[in-house]
Amino acid sequence: MKIITWYGILTIGDDGVSECEPFNKDVDELAELLLQKDVVAYSPGSGFDIRTVAIECGFVENDEEYNSLLRDVSIRAAKLQISRTNTPDMQIIQAVEALDDIDDVVNVLSERLSEWYGLHFPELGLSSEPLARFVSEFGSRNNVPAEHPMFEKATSSMGSELPSANEELIMGFASNACELYDSRHSIEASIVRNMEKMAPNVTLIAGSLIGARLISMTGGLARLSQLPSSTVQVMGANRALFKHLRGRAPSPKHGIIFNNPLVKNSPWWQRGKIARALAAKISLAARMDVYSGELHSEIKVNLEKKVNSIKAANPKPPVKQKPAGKGYKGKNKGGER
Amino acid sequence: MDVNEISEGIFEVRKGGKKILATKNANPGSNVYGENLLEEEGEEYRAWDARRSKLAAMVLKKMKVPIKSDSRVLYLGAASGTTVSHVSDMLPNGIVYAVEFSPRTMRELIQLCDTRSNIVPILADASRPKLYGHIVEQVDVIFQDVAQPNQAQIAAVNAEQFLKDDGHLLLSIKARSIDTVANPSKVFKEEVNKLEKDFDTQFKVIKKHDLAPFHEDHLGLVAKKKLKEN
Repeated sequence: MKIITWYGILTIGDDGVSECEPFNKDVDELAELLLQKDVVAYSPGSGFDIRTVAIECGFVENDEEYNSLLRDVSIRAAKLQISRTNTPDMQIIQAVEALDDIDDVVNVLSERLSEWYGLHFPELGLSSEPLARFVSEFGSRNNVPAEHPMFEKATSSMGSELPSANEELIMGFASNACELYDSRHSIEASIVRNMEKMAPNVTLIAGSLIGARLISMTGGLARLSQLPSSTVQVMGANRALFKHLRGRAPSPKHGIIFNNPLVKNSPWWQRGKIARALAAKISLAARMDVYSGELHSEIKVNLEKKVNSIKAANPKPPVKQKPAGKGYKGKNKGGER
Repeated sequence: MDVNEISEGIFEVRKGGKKILATKNANPGSNVYGENLLEEEGEEYRAWDARRSKLAAMVLKKMKVPIKSDSRVLYLGAASGTTVSHVSDMLPNGIVYAVEFSPRTMRELIQLCDTRSNIVPILADASRPKLYGHIVEQVDVIFQDVAQPNQAQIAAVNAEQFLKDDGHLLLSIKARSIDTVANPSKVFKEEVNKLEKDFDTQFKVIKKHDLAPFHEDHLGLVAKKKLKEN
């Protein structure tokens, strides 16, 4: 019987180890060998002590050398493994998460800015990015040039004056927000670029941002490709899904793929059917991306055909019935919690 | 300040009326996770917080830790290495095999391994011991802190492959990761039952103790392999 250990291949006869072929005593080589796939098939049986054999067959001189060599090899191997888990989809996952973090932060900042600047210039009527750009450019409303469309409102504003010390503060605050918006745009652009390279088919079907979000939620493109498309269809609708599973609501029709224009821009009675078709094609596309990596534009054509046939078959809204589902009592009106 | 060795490699340092659990720092001058360093009689000790380590909590619960200075230890569920670092302190002539499944936490564990001479990091799933059977030898102690629903089974398969006949299993059972709603004491009873009867490798539980107030709904347990009768 043959067994593989980290230091070599052993042949076991009836009365113990009959042959020992040690590997080269080189840390890099041993680390690569440590990660080979067939260790499971040739694993030493229970109770077999690999250390004694390593010393007996002369691979190492003593326990100290065994310990220190094994330590060096396994640290090297673990580092290799870690660097191999850093696949391109990990970059995309982090980028998507960063996008969400920026959105959270920038929303808070822009609300603050709108309250703060509103003291001074309540008539402005801008919010979020345009507001931040406006404030970081002009500061006080007195600096708005005559040709600017806001000039009139600025001169007749009911807001209080902005002291110059505070003007500096608020302009700095606004320009921080602007930098976050800039960063958000460049992250988004990089996601679009990377998605086209890494998952061309998913990008074609779902769109780059929705595709990136699906990858981020599942933890990787390979995992996304292994999911049933019914999961893809409702991913991101967790609350609705669990409510349904507890028997209090009809099943959700779409999760984050709702944001795809095919679903979003369709009338409500077609959306569930279209979401199902879309999810099915996303699953196919993910599998193509993982296993071939080449662009197959015919799935897009097929999807459009399918969507058109759904639209043709369901031109009118159905007559609303009481939805099925155990214990479901119409729209949730409070009451039962 | 005086020092009292309460178990091999585990010390109780008295400082200003307070007793602090500690291990002798194998890498003097630096700490691992922000713990306090205590100087006494030219030796440096690292404070060991029972709230952050189930093994430390087991020590404070007066459970005998069977680790000696030359023990070979298999540590399942090493995480980022807070407890592993103390086990490493206890083993000036031994070795600890630290198995961890998540590459993210392994990243931190490896940085610890780099500073110490007796930790062997293994990035693998602890429920599949065949994946690291070519690395790990026969060990004196298995310490397991994996918080998985099938942790009794994980202990059994690892003990079958790696634990010496006279070796010990140290186990921390987290009731909430086995059944989130059931009564913890019922879960503990079932888990102990599983360890004693369910698998090919059966255990004899020597001591068990609730780890509250350091860890809620955790049971610490010391067991030995039940030897098969031939």
